[in-house]
Amino acid sequence: MMRLAGKTALVTGGRQGIGRGIVDAFIFEGATVSTCGRDPRPDDLPETCNWHQTDVAKPADVELLASAMGACDVVVNNAGVQVEKTVAGSSDEDWDLVMGVNARGVFNVCRAFLPRMSAGGSIINIGSISGNVADPSMALYNASKAFVHGLTRSIAVDHGPAIRCNAICPGWIETGMLDAGFDLADDPVKAKTEALLRHPARRFGKPEDIASIAVWLASDESSFATGQFFTVDGGLTAASPLQPGLS
Amino acid sequence: MSGRIEGKTALVTGGAGGIGWAICKRFSAEGANVICADITAPGDFPPKNVEHRSLDIADEDAVRSAFARLGAEWDSLDILVNAAGIEIEKTIEDTTLDEWNRSFAVNVTGTFLCSKFALPMLRKGNGSSIINFGSYDGFIADPGLAAYCATKGAVHALTRAMACDHGPEGIRVNAICPGYVDTPMLQSFFEGDGSGGGGKSLDDLQQAVRDVHPMRTYGTPDDVANLVLWLASDEARYASGQLWVLDGGLSAQVQQMKL
Repeated sequence: MMRLAGKTALVTGGRQGIGRGIVDAFIFEGATVSTCGRDPRPDDLPETCNWHQTDVAKPADVELLASAMGACDVVVNNAGVQVEKTVAGSSDEDWDLVMGVNARGVFNVCRAFLPRMSAGGSIINIGSISGNVADPSMALYNASKAFVHGLTRSIAVDHGPAIRCNAICPGWIETGMLDAGFDLADDPVKAKTEALLRHPARRFGKPEDIASIAVWLASDESSFATGQFFTVDGGLTAASPLQPGLS
Repeated sequence: MSGRIEGKTALVTGGAGGIGWAICKRFSAEGANVICADITAPGDFPPKNVEHRSLDIADEDAVRSAFARLGAEWDSLDILVNAAGIEIEKTIEDTTLDEWNRSFAVNVTGTFLCSKFALPMLRKGNGSSIINFGSYDGFIADPGLAAYCATKGAVHALTRAMACDHGPEGIRVNAICPGYVDTPMLQSFFEGDGSGGGGKSLDDLQQAVRDVHPMRTYGTPDDVANLVLWLASDEARYASGQLWVLDGGLSAQVQQMKL
């Protein structure tokens, strides 16, 4: 039996990476799925998936999206951007971009969709291990994910029991954003090799590793789960940052 | 259609208890072969491919023999669920050393021993997964449960350590941390008035506790079994070293002030 049969879902930022992994998994499990992004519809999006050209940072865009979709059972706030800078190096434009999408975007979508969600609905926010522990030179990104974690708890407390709200905290997942991080290193190849040795799983995650917990949180199997963080990181944050033998 | 853990082998300690039995049934329904290891026998007739074996997890010789026997029967073990646990409903002042030691013997040493002796079989497993039972009490305290809270904190730390040490061998280790789940253990907690019920009747006390949950209810053993199934399956193949709180939102909030 398909685990999301009969459910309608929105996944923001489903063009690529983790978002696309979630879109594909939700469709496979029988959901009716819509996704959105700032660009026109990607050519390789599955035919059954609806596309909305939406900038989640803009409240008017999000209100249009919500009106177009109407009732919704599952909302996944996945859309996110990162800027690889310290606080001292960040500009006002960096703040507007990162906080606009990662923080205000999640708020905009939750505010617009909460009144349209049916009882038993599930909001899934993509937080990050970086909301709990700092990735170097990712100051605004780290802070934006901590915002997502705080908002997740608030929605769970304020809108339960009708609506559940949880966050998934991915570790290092093989996406374009991960490669952008390694490109910052003096020796990207060495950095990648050592990063793998820091993972008890000895590999990076894949979008489908995150999609599988998103399916669980979207399904009625998780009906007692709310206000919590579901970290999927190959064991990275279970271990101390001090690893003798690694630089 | 095949199940989500079709053909996998599993051992569930405390398998005859409220949550353990729900896990055994769920694993069976999803296609696994299950040993329900418990010092007491289950109250119900076991479902397909579930076999009860008596085991005191705090007894090193008994645990060693149990896994030696299992190793002669099965080539490998894919899933170990350390669900057995006990709860002493007392403050430290009222807890005897025997009660303290017994709490650690079952909740911590039992988890250690079963994991230790299962490792050789888990290394041969396919996508092997250990699921320990922590508790939301390992993060925040319920009144009058001092030894229990301490044992669950120890299980959380042990979970992370095992995940780091044995991840490279292909073994994932996680802990599930339930909040209030409707089991005989919870009923005993209420009847002992360990939560400081302030003279409330049992019904009023239970309703008050439900009302504090954002989900306005307790969990059921099936709720817990659903997450254990996910962690046991290959769907969770990148999840390790984490503490999975399942508490209806209880610990997402600050204590409810009556303003």
